Amino acid sequence: MAYVTVRPDDEVIHVADAETILGGLAKAGFTYRVGCRRGGCGICKVTLVEGQVTYERPIASAVLTDEERADGTCLSCRAVPDGDVTIELRDDTLRLTNPLLRMLNKRQVH
Amino acid sequence: MAVMRMGYAHVRVTDMADAKQHYANTMGLYQTLEQDGKVYYKAWDEWDHHSVVLEEGGVGLVKFGWKVEYSEDIDLIEKKAKAFGVTVERMSKGENPEIGDGIRFTTPSEHVFEVYHEATLVGTEVGTHNPDAFPRHLVGVGVPALDHALITTSDVALMQRFLGDVFDFYATERVQTSLDDDAHLIATWLTSNNQIHQLACLEGPQAKLHHFAFKLGDWQEVGRAADLFSMDDVSIDIGPTRHGITRGQTVYFFDPAGNRNEVFAGGYPAYRDRPINIWTPEQLGKGIFYHARELNDRFTSVLT
Repeated sequence: MAYVTVRPDDEVIHVADAETILGGLAKAGFTYRVGCRRGGCGICKVTLVEGQVTYERPIASAVLTDEERADGTCLSCRAVPDGDVTIELRDDTLRLTNPLLRMLNKRQVH
Repeated sequence: MAVMRMGYAHVRVTDMADAKQHYANTMGLYQTLEQDGKVYYKAWDEWDHHSVVLEEGGVGLVKFGWKVEYSEDIDLIEKKAKAFGVTVERMSKGENPEIGDGIRFTTPSEHVFEVYHEATLVGTEVGTHNPDAFPRHLVGVGVPALDHALITTSDVALMQRFLGDVFDFYATERVQTSLDDDAHLIATWLTSNNQIHQLACLEGPQAKLHHFAFKLGDWQEVGRAADLFSMDDVSIDIGPTRHGITRGQTVYFFDPAGNRNEVFAGGYPAYRDRPINIWTPEQLGKGIFYHARELNDRFTSVLT
């Protein structure tokens, strides 16, 4: 399990083991700009400010280039946090779609 | 001359094991060949060797194959494509396994098209001799056939003219900025026969795939497909819903590499003399998604 801090909102979200950043945020009641959810379109890219991630599936180099991997670009639908991470949304803000899910997730954040 | 149908869609996938799970077990396609890192599939009610080709590495479209009625059609299309100003190369039998001689060219939209007349006849899964209505042991959705595709291009009017001149396609529906004669064309739905569309073109980046679609029979089958997508954790884009344009019933969803697929049922019969349906931007949401009546942000931005 890991904590994901999301900038610029500074929301802290608990993400289960092997769960992607995008999947974890959805379970915590949040959304942002989302595309195919399968690593093919690149719409859900965020900036990885702190921490490391592992990609659960191969990612096409046309979707996430080597330069982007090096500059901290993170494809959030396929990225699984290795420990706590901080991400920053790009030209987007976190949207709360379900307060109940947020409250349930908050109980796991200390 | 006649292009009969989109014969095959050849796409890239990032993970072949995941892709096989999707196209074979969820969609219910039949694998006919695995060779040189590519997997070939046909659907149960198709008779040619393959209609879907998967290639590992990357994402997006490699090419479309178009099957013509007569072998002479290949020469005719070659002439017309050259007259349009497109470079055409010959392809030989076997360049694509189980596909005959033909031509290959890159369209003004920068998509690769192949045109062929011969494909190895495998036969449908019910045969032709006193056939049953459907195979008893269909897997997953059990789609009967490939149906159509939507591609994006920076110049829709140019692609419409190209497909009219070279393939003898005609438009059934259009999205344009107004009803004026000089309106800007935003999207067009094209066909060669009574199928409501074989290829649609939407304004957007060159060389991109919006989706390719499989045929289904009716609402009930579309709903059942969506149920199966939930069972198999398929990422659903939208639906089940209806398109105002074509009147088709639909689910948009993504394969495990992020290529958009569709299951499409219905659609009214197309005729060359039927007046073209025209949609204008203020009703585009209803045209695309007839019930939500709003375009989601993914419709125009998520491409492979």
